[in-house]
Amino acid sequence: MGKVYGRTAAEFAADAVRLAVDDAGLTLDQVDGLLVNPGLSGGLGIGLAAALGLYDLPLLSVVNAYGSSASAMVQIAMFAIAAGHASTVACVFADATLQPKSRTGAAYGSIGGARRRLTGIRGLGAAAGLGGAPSTYALAARRHMAKYGTDDDQFAAVAVTTRDWAADNPFAQLRDPITVDDHHKSRWIAEPFRLLDCCLVSNGGVAVVVTSGERARDLRQPPAYIWGWGQCHPGYVMERGCEWGLSTGAVKSGRDAFARAGIGPADIDVAEIYDCFTFTVIVSLEDYGFCEKGEGGPYVASGVLGRDGALPTNTGGGELSAYYMWGMTPLSEGVIQTRGQGGGRQVDRHDLVLVSGNGGTLEHHGTLVLGAHPKGA
Amino acid sequence: MADVARDEESTEFFDGTARGELMVKQCSACGHHLRPDSISCSKCYGNELLWTRASGRGTLVSWIVVHGAEQEPPVVGLVELDEGPWLHARLVDVDTATLAVGDAFVVDFEPAGEERIPIFRPA
Repeated sequence: MGKVYGRTAAEFAADAVRLAVDDAGLTLDQVDGLLVNPGLSGGLGIGLAAALGLYDLPLLSVVNAYGSSASAMVQIAMFAIAAGHASTVACVFADATLQPKSRTGAAYGSIGGARRRLTGIRGLGAAAGLGGAPSTYALAARRHMAKYGTDDDQFAAVAVTTRDWAADNPFAQLRDPITVDDHHKSRWIAEPFRLLDCCLVSNGGVAVVVTSGERARDLRQPPAYIWGWGQCHPGYVMERGCEWGLSTGAVKSGRDAFARAGIGPADIDVAEIYDCFTFTVIVSLEDYGFCEKGEGGPYVASGVLGRDGALPTNTGGGELSAYYMWGMTPLSEGVIQTRGQGGGRQVDRHDLVLVSGNGGTLEHHGTLVLGAHPKGA
Repeated sequence: MADVARDEESTEFFDGTARGELMVKQCSACGHHLRPDSISCSKCYGNELLWTRASGRGTLVSWIVVHGAEQEPPVVGLVELDEGPWLHARLVDVDTATLAVGDAFVVDFEPAGEERIPIFRPA
């Protein structure tokens, strides 16, 4: 993952599925379900099954709920397995949108040198100057700042802490420490966001294998047991009274996941929160109930997310510093931490790990609670 | 600003901007005002939406300054029209040092290729 060129998204996806299946101690012929979440670069779809030699599958589909896709895929796999429809489902994300010697913004089509021609009502935002995700998230963040007093130092706290975690992740793209001052001196992208408020763009792929707890027990790796799950797609209508930017689908997605797990936020040992931007972490933590609404800024600035904090968060360096594999970034690190395989970044207490996906501009949310032990055991 | 072209769904909207009028949609069943790209009423699920002229007045929901694409980084706002719908539009004649959520704005129009598009200036 990272600035890896010369491979297509389909090739990254095939590699990831092979590696994950092998890691589990399985062989490809034991996989009877495949869920594919393609990024933006194209060429990756359900054809991956035949390309991998997976035949007569009872479950094969593309899943796309943007950044909440990873948790959504795991949930669909889990439902299929619980229903007896499939036994072992591989879920994969891959993308190859980054081109050599081009700007990260260009990879997501947000900043182009050429004069663009835009169409219809939906073209008005881009015509006004909106430049993709950093712009729309910055608009959301400003709303939160204006209402709750969230500030630049609090954004920096997220960026600095996340980079500190990345230092011990060999897969992380950015591992050199940064300071609050580095954050404040990084160039503006879309005020109130600076460069160090924004995640990376990465090429690569990540896959996870979902199977029953019974089957997983005898496989090669310690399983991450799914204790709780939830999704919420708020369907914001951009008009008077809309809560967009102030609260997210994590409120309901989190509440459902905690209820199904039979736990509350205080029981979580490690949090892996979708961090497309520093602000996303702040608003998500509020919505999950780790602090009061509006207190996310002071909460992250208190040092709670770091190595000695009460809620070690984005322990692999997240999307801000490690790699941007959509919802697979928090999910993969959540699995690593649950298994206790985080090496120098492993959190001592990792019985219950929260994994949070987020897509669109705070428009799609997916949550998993992973346990190091079977629920009730 | 980048060129904007009309499509089938936006003919009435751009006919409006050409006249200097900001057109939004309104639900014929319940009267709720909706964004110009709406296809269903957010209040009653009504699907008969009619074009209507908005007052052109609104207040600021949020704003940003976008760097990297244009020589003079544009200020882009999310404006809540007095009728209720939110629109993304460029803000002009603003001082970002004092700009605040809740500020009052009024619409104006600027060319973007062959069409004119709404912008907002302080009321």
